[in-house]
Amino acid sequence: MRAYLPDYELRVPKDLEEALAFLANEPGMWKPFAGGTDLMVLLEAGKLEHTKFFSVWNLAELRGIEVTDESVTLGALTTYTEVRRNSILQEEFPMLCVAARETGGIAIQNRGTIGGNIVNASPAADSPPALLAYDAELELLSSKGARKIPYKDFHTGYKQMKLRDDELLTGIRLPRTTKSLRHYYRKVGTRKAQAISKVCFAGVAKIEDESVADVRIALGSVAPIVLRCEKTEAVLRGKSVDERTISAARAALINEIAPIDDIRSTAKYRLRVAANLLEDFLKTVRDGELN
Amino acid sequence: MSKNEKDKNEQPLKVVGKPFRKVDARAKCTGQTKFADDIALPRMLYCKILRSPEPHALIKTIDVSRALKLPGVHAIITGRDLPIPYGILPVSQDEHAICIDKVRFIGDPVAAVAAVDEDTAFDAMNLIEVEYEKLQTVTSIEEGLMVDEPRIHDYGERGNIHKLVSLEFGDMDEGFAEADLIREDILFYEGNTHLPMEQHAALAYFDTDNKLTLWSSTQTPHYVHRALTKTLEIPAAHIRVIATPNGGGFGGKSDPFNHEIIVSKLSMITGRPVKATLTREEVFYCHRGRHPVLMKVRTGVKRDGAITAMDFQSFLDGGAYGSYGVASTFYTGALQTVTYEVPRYKFRGARVFTNKPPCGPKRGHGTPQPRYALEVHLDKIAEELKLDPAEIRLNHLVKPFSVTANYLRIGSMGLGRCIEKVVEGSDWKDKFSGWDKENRKLPFGKGVGLACSSYICGAGLPIYWNNMPHSGVQLRLDRQGGVCVQCGSIDIGQGSDSVLAYIVAEVLGIDPFDIRVLTADTDLTPVDLGSYSSRVTLMTGNAALQAAERARELLTIAVAEKLSVPAENLSFAERRVFDVENPEVGLSFAEAVVLAESKFGTIGTVGSYTPPRSPGHFKGAGVGPSPAYSYSAAVAEVDVDPMTGIVTVERVWIAHDIGRSINPMLVMGQVEGSVYMGLGEALMEEMAYRANRNVVHKFPSLLEYKSPTTLEMCDVKTYLIEDADPNGPFGAKEVGQGPLLPVPPTVANAVYDAVGVRIDEVPITPEKVLYALREKSKGREGRFGPKSIPEVDWPQPLKVLTPEEGGDGREMPHVAVHS
Repeated sequence: MRAYLPDYELRVPKDLEEALAFLANEPGMWKPFAGGTDLMVLLEAGKLEHTKFFSVWNLAELRGIEVTDESVTLGALTTYTEVRRNSILQEEFPMLCVAARETGGIAIQNRGTIGGNIVNASPAADSPPALLAYDAELELLSSKGARKIPYKDFHTGYKQMKLRDDELLTGIRLPRTTKSLRHYYRKVGTRKAQAISKVCFAGVAKIEDESVADVRIALGSVAPIVLRCEKTEAVLRGKSVDERTISAARAALINEIAPIDDIRSTAKYRLRVAANLLEDFLKTVRDGELN
Repeated sequence: MSKNEKDKNEQPLKVVGKPFRKVDARAKCTGQTKFADDIALPRMLYCKILRSPEPHALIKTIDVSRALKLPGVHAIITGRDLPIPYGILPVSQDEHAICIDKVRFIGDPVAAVAAVDEDTAFDAMNLIEVEYEKLQTVTSIEEGLMVDEPRIHDYGERGNIHKLVSLEFGDMDEGFAEADLIREDILFYEGNTHLPMEQHAALAYFDTDNKLTLWSSTQTPHYVHRALTKTLEIPAAHIRVIATPNGGGFGGKSDPFNHEIIVSKLSMITGRPVKATLTREEVFYCHRGRHPVLMKVRTGVKRDGAITAMDFQSFLDGGAYGSYGVASTFYTGALQTVTYEVPRYKFRGARVFTNKPPCGPKRGHGTPQPRYALEVHLDKIAEELKLDPAEIRLNHLVKPFSVTANYLRIGSMGLGRCIEKVVEGSDWKDKFSGWDKENRKLPFGKGVGLACSSYICGAGLPIYWNNMPHSGVQLRLDRQGGVCVQCGSIDIGQGSDSVLAYIVAEVLGIDPFDIRVLTADTDLTPVDLGSYSSRVTLMTGNAALQAAERARELLTIAVAEKLSVPAENLSFAERRVFDVENPEVGLSFAEAVVLAESKFGTIGTVGSYTPPRSPGHFKGAGVGPSPAYSYSAAVAEVDVDPMTGIVTVERVWIAHDIGRSINPMLVMGQVEGSVYMGLGEALMEEMAYRANRNVVHKFPSLLEYKSPTTLEMCDVKTYLIEDADPNGPFGAKEVGQGPLLPVPPTVANAVYDAVGVRIDEVPITPEKVLYALREKSKGREGRFGPKSIPEVDWPQPLKVLTPEEGGDGREMPHVAVHS
């Protein structure tokens, strides 16, 4: 049942400084409201526990895609639509564009933001596996100052993350080191659009002399957090992609992930599909069919 | 009344068979149509219904005092204010608009508020305090059969068994003895819901002259009218029900609903208009959707595939109330006999109550489940006999104008042509790999499947026993040439208003857009039983045809006299009445009306339609008979991804025996819509429950109840088979429901052709496909599906000799059995 609207408060700060003041003055009391694509669902279901929000939608400081020689930095409010349409992202970070295209529908892509997708901290989010595979770094800001943290260290448990009560996620930095990589992204959901994933796989690899010189793999919907699968990567690094390696990597992945039965699928299905996708990823990058 | 390409003066048909736009198309496309929620009246109050969070509990206390004190609250009612039970079927009067002392599922109403605005009503609702005493829940078919106490209802067969049916037509032992092969299969069809775009809404106004008007998005205004007079205890003559255009119905708005009674009562108490618009969550609780059905089918066949006997059992999870459930139970056993010859037939059906939203009629009412079972079963039989799935069906079709073993009278029967069309159109012979798995025609992962079906064109009997017509039409002609058609039928998007206009326009030779169509208003229109059972085109169409022919006769007499032309020479076309031998001799239609009105007085005619009597006279013979049966055949081509188990339906070829299209564009629209809905059921839609012993809906929201988007919708190639049925207006049969039926089994059979696994449970989800593929890879049976059926102490079957055996459609006298 929908929540009772007068119970909620939404404020609109005029600039970033005022927004940070909400967080600094009453820690834990206020939460940012960006595109609202997750929060409105909870509101409609009567499950939005937090009641005080400030809108960051109008904060120009959090918008835009900045490109330097070393990196591409997405403002936290970059929408999926903006991601989809950006030519550098299409060229160098194609998995992110695919993830954006497969998130929700057009309306959600116009409102939903990359920053929101990260701090909503859903293990089923579509862009985080791509961000993990691309070694993203997060930029956090509070009235006390800014700091950076590797994205792979950010999520600590189901809906838990290293974000202080007074901090706001402002940007996502992607190192431009992807040119020699092969990219593989696949979202498996109940349908082709507007479905939350059952399993989401993002992988990049560099194959040199028929063996794996570099590999980064991340999966969504298979653990309490979106998971960078470093143990599986370790099994693969330096190996040639043959049946033995594939088999060892499958076994490693099955040990590394911890899917559950929920309303969307079963643990068994997720395990099998995750391993099948890993195999498909390895064969695809080996045979050089993709990207 | 059979009409073919020409009218009675050999003029070609001008309207029937042409793709005119709908008479209400522009209003719908531009958003001008007034749906129930669009209607607002001065001083209107808003209603919110407090619903039970408990699946099965006694209501110990309800305290509304805090809520009543909230400023802006005008009235709060509880079950004691509406003590009289109701229900769509006379045998299942088991609902109360608001629960009195017991709740039976999460979502059952316990109180209702009328307040100045929706937020106040909502706030007040949250201030109502209800104390429950929890009862043990009953949540599955197995539990419904096994758990006698606590009973969800204190009526029914016994314990929580609502209905048991046991019918036997012909000598089954003899039938199975004749068979070369006997095969048994067990299959399950999960429940799913209608998902109309428009959520239910109702607005009631009890005016100062003590007359009640209810505007509601209902498919059955006449039955709502009856339920209101019963529960509110006011004379039917003081109640007016206006069914607003439905933004989709699919069977989900066919019951009288508690919110309709509640807003009426609240308006009587407050003297102000009261409106309720259900949320999407509440629509999931209203439900009345597809029953989950577990089925076992056992069939004997000769080597050539001829069926010698069929024994079908079905088990229905009915949810918390009766709804149409008794009819649904019979429907799971009725139409197995109308496609292929089944000389001897036995059916047993059981419906149980469970603590879940009530199931009822959804597009195809009770027949998609057994049709899925039967068509998959037949595919497996074809494999055992090494017969082509198209051939086994084509060679044993039921004969047109025959009577089946269970006493259904078949009229025109175009299934053979349907099969031939889809076989040809899909290049079936070049795609279907046959049963030899070594020589595939399509690569592994791609496959085709075929299935057929049939559906009724209107239920042969009304829901409450009476001898009156099922549909009435009143026609008014005014002296300016205007024509108004009045009928109780309600357009739920299928185009029934347009069909009325097309038929009357055809007979009177005028433009369908000249006609004023006034429907679904119990004060202004004669009774039509409602938009259910695919009855409207055939029944209101025939009533409209009769009314129009009567009007034409009056005009003919007047014009013949005036022009001194023999009456039989007069033709009606292009808004003129003229001599066919001398077309310039004639009058405008408006002048003809003036002549007729001058001669006879005010011109108004009526027409009505009553279906023919069914040849079956045994108890239970009321479900299944129809004036005509439509037929469909479909081929699906699928892609199955062995990595994820995802089934993509790439294309569907479907042929539908429509008798005659009144409007082929609308017919194709219904076919494609049926394919879409069928794909949703085949691939993903399910009313699934979880937590708290499987009674909490997994998420009563569109967020997690997934139905196909445009990206899942495949190309559809539609073929219309036109072979006029003598009982249809201009030969027309139904199309609203039938074409859904072959879709799920077609997909299941195609999956088998693609990857060699049998998914004997709908929906065919990737989880099930992957499971079956893994089982197969480990050398076990490549199948996902139920393995057994529950033990049931079935009653003695009611035995009827088949027509072939010389039966007269009556039950055989009981003979004591000595063992």
